[in-house]
Amino acid sequence: MGRPIYLDYAASSPVHPEVAAAMAACLGPDGLHANPSSGHAEGRRAAAAIEQARASVAALLGAGPESILFTSGATESDNLALLGACRAGRARGKHLVTSRVEHRAVTDACQQLEREGFAVSWLKPGPDGRIAPAQVASALRPDTLLVSVMHGNNETGVVNDVAAIGRLCSERGVLLHVDAAQSAGRVQIDAGGLNADLIAFTAHKLGGPKGIGALYLRPRPRPALQPLQFGGGQERGIRSGTLATHQIVGFGAACRIAAADLETEAMRVRSLRERLWGRLQAAGSAWRNGEGEPSLPGILNVGFAGIEGESLLLALDGLVCASSGSACHSAVAEPSYVLRALGLSDLGCQASLRLSLGRFTREEDVDEAASAILAAVERLRRIAPPGALERIR
Amino acid sequence: MSEGSYYSAEVRRLFAAPPRCGALPPGPGTPCRGEAEALDRGAWVRLEARLQDGIVADARFRAWGCPHLIAACALVTERLVGQPAPGAFRLDPAGLARELEVPTAKLGRLLVLEDALSGLAAGLAPAQ
Repeated sequence: MGRPIYLDYAASSPVHPEVAAAMAACLGPDGLHANPSSGHAEGRRAAAAIEQARASVAALLGAGPESILFTSGATESDNLALLGACRAGRARGKHLVTSRVEHRAVTDACQQLEREGFAVSWLKPGPDGRIAPAQVASALRPDTLLVSVMHGNNETGVVNDVAAIGRLCSERGVLLHVDAAQSAGRVQIDAGGLNADLIAFTAHKLGGPKGIGALYLRPRPRPALQPLQFGGGQERGIRSGTLATHQIVGFGAACRIAAADLETEAMRVRSLRERLWGRLQAAGSAWRNGEGEPSLPGILNVGFAGIEGESLLLALDGLVCASSGSACHSAVAEPSYVLRALGLSDLGCQASLRLSLGRFTREEDVDEAASAILAAVERLRRIAPPGALERIR
Repeated sequence: MSEGSYYSAEVRRLFAAPPRCGALPPGPGTPCRGEAEALDRGAWVRLEARLQDGIVADARFRAWGCPHLIAACALVTERLVGQPAPGAFRLDPAGLARELEVPTAKLGRLLVLEDALSGLAAGLAPAQ
């Protein structure tokens, strides 16, 4: 049996071979082994490679290199943005607006801020899974300091109108933080056009290595951030720690590759996603979670009546790599809070599967994966008691 | 349990091709059925058996739930056949959990299977 078809790009994407080569070159005997903060020739060589990568990472957002801080990933970027900006700005206001469908890197950070005395307005998405700008407008208060709304949702793939939300925030002098972990490198992002003050993203979702991410800071006016870690004063004193040259170089290479054919690749992946959905509908009693445009090109969240997600994933083990709509390694399969927020029942969440496609997904992968999924769904429905198709949805 | 796997080899085997899954085929003897569910806990089990001369001559199961539950149902159903009723319809959930290496957190799902077995015994009672 060959390797399973990888349809879990939203969780992490394969490292692009050119990225791996660029990173390996850094780690080889003639590589960039010096500390980039060192003033000697080798240190300067490493620092130059980092600055070149920083420019590539920034360019992916249509921004300048001075707007990029390197972090360990999107979780750290989200935490630094939220905790850093709110702690630095608490004198201006202690109210935040965010949504119930943000990644836990955002929701957990907001809960920490609640413990620190901030008030948080938690917006619920509409039936289409999106947060409407009007909802944000209604939630704003005179003491609102920051709004945090994700660009593309990691489970459903729906894309929020962050530009409109950004205009609202800009008019009211409220900071806007955008979690773009899923959208960076997958759809066009213009940081200036979004009116965002802070944008978090990561390398490993766009063909780069794990362990490296970035936080975009609007250059003017630059939002004040209180650091979360202290030490050598790297990254303008906001994020201390020796910069990981090889990872940053890999991140830069991944951003260059993503930017080079972003539009055509997005169209190709979107077409594959629709092909997959078309094939899967043959299962009958199937539905799509988070429909409509705009959306991230590669994410398809689909539910199959009568199915339990953990069993579906094991039935696909060795054939297709995907994610279920619940955290299943627990006493009670915890339904996805994102899908619940869309109004899906707990059983409907458990019957859901997230399939995410990317750069190395081919038409034959989609067809083969669809066949495997249809067979698994049919088998599990045969095992289930009569009536499951009507009750489990 | 194999390294890095959440499922024991036995669970994988039983889940991949669960024996005695489906509806009880027609045949001689007394049929009985037991069913239990706790959908909010991820378990729904239906058991069917046919008794001849006080012995389970045939048995089948249907289940909705996680792989551990499906494997447990398959194993228990297979073991019913040839056993004298109603003793065959007793279950030691803790022992079954140990045998299949079911995570402690999922023991509640085996209790649903136990309830379905009890239902089989109850369904049999009028015929005894």
